[in-house]
Amino acid sequence: MKKFYALICGIMIWTCAAQAADPSIEFVNNLTDKIIENVLTTQESTEDKLTEFRKEFTAALDLKSIGQFVLGIYWRKATPAERDAFLTAFIDFTTKTWADRFDMYTGQQIIFTGTRNAEGNQLYVDSQIQNNPPVEVIWRLRKKKDGFRIIDIIVEGVSMAMSYRNEYSSFLQANGGSVPALTQELERKSAAFQFSENKK
Amino acid sequence: MRRLFLILLCCGTLLTGCATRPTDPEELKIYEANNDPLEPMNRTIFGFNMAADTYVLEPAVKTYRFVLPSPVRQGINNFFSNLKQPLYLANALMQGDGTAAGTIVKRFAANTFWGFFGLFDTASHMNIPVVKRDFGETLAVWGVENGGPYLVLPLIGPSNVRDTVGMGVDSVLTPVDWLLYHERGLIYARQSIDAFRTRDNVNDLMETLRKSSTDFYATLRSMSQQNRKKEIDTLLGKTHEEEAPAYDFAFPDDEFEEEE
Repeated sequence: MKKFYALICGIMIWTCAAQAADPSIEFVNNLTDKIIENVLTTQESTEDKLTEFRKEFTAALDLKSIGQFVLGIYWRKATPAERDAFLTAFIDFTTKTWADRFDMYTGQQIIFTGTRNAEGNQLYVDSQIQNNPPVEVIWRLRKKKDGFRIIDIIVEGVSMAMSYRNEYSSFLQANGGSVPALTQELERKSAAFQFSENKK
Repeated sequence: MRRLFLILLCCGTLLTGCATRPTDPEELKIYEANNDPLEPMNRTIFGFNMAADTYVLEPAVKTYRFVLPSPVRQGINNFFSNLKQPLYLANALMQGDGTAAGTIVKRFAANTFWGFFGLFDTASHMNIPVVKRDFGETLAVWGVENGGPYLVLPLIGPSNVRDTVGMGVDSVLTPVDWLLYHERGLIYARQSIDAFRTRDNVNDLMETLRKSSTDFYATLRSMSQQNRKKEIDTLLGKTHEEEAPAYDFAFPDDEFEEEE
């Protein structure tokens, strides 16, 4: 029996060490730890949480890649100024909508289950939120000179980037492909945004 | 209900027809990935669903939440979700999945006996995982892997051709309803409560998505298609490597570095 425990401990230490040794897992783990600690579980006001969340999140994202991906063909047609304006409005509005659901967090733990290589200098970090049933979250990262950046988060098969891309291309098709029109719409929705009050 | 669906289907098709295929190759790619040739009709039904949601379902959910405290609502949810277990079991068996069937039996037994006829989710406290199996999935296991074009069903929402057939089969297959065979009223009540609690369960998510989307129809379409594909892929035992890529468009890679 003692041997059995020793074996279990050994395996645990080994897997922990293996996890800590992988820099891509460490990168995502750091981010989720910070968000859980400084955003999800603090008693700060929603505004403060939002500011903190935006800071952490923006630093971890490869915003330009995401912008280029979600706008697709329309990115190429837009001027650099239009692109920048879109990115600012996009990140502002996205973080707000995510912040709207901070209260869904009820102490779930996140465990990392491995990494996989994707094309080029990209890779996936697989993780699971401990819930019943568990929620699979895949982080798509891109390796840059100064470290990793997130380019997509895939929750139970739903890719954020893909969802935004489909949504925006649908909006753009209906609006003559005008990126400024999309930016304006995001700004308008952002200004009108009110955080939900009625909770379960 | 069935008649209403047919009427809407006919009106929708007659009034709006099919979507036009774009000529631009890039736009055509997006069009094909959306897998939604009946988009005009779907949007019409979606508009009807949204109106029904705004004027009927959402106020009803708000009242329900206001009137009943959370533990009571949870109990109702548990009770009716427990009644669905025999249906899940039937599907798991038809899929030839003994492990899933075993888990469902365990859940059902634990919640029915120790959970006071399903009012308490004792099974989750015993760490028995939630397993749901529907006939759309059974069809996928039987070889209908491709679900066909996207469909929006009146009052039900996002689906596709295969899953619509599946839903029809599930609705006549529900074993609990056989016991109530001579009590049509109770069957309709159970089905209505099921629809209602499903809406209640997704209320917060719906609210956020609706506020945050520039084209709610497109957002729901994309998310429900991706999520369903993942469910089917997992069921068919595909590993991440075997799954068809979640996107048909690569992330810009080399093209990008040059720009910086």
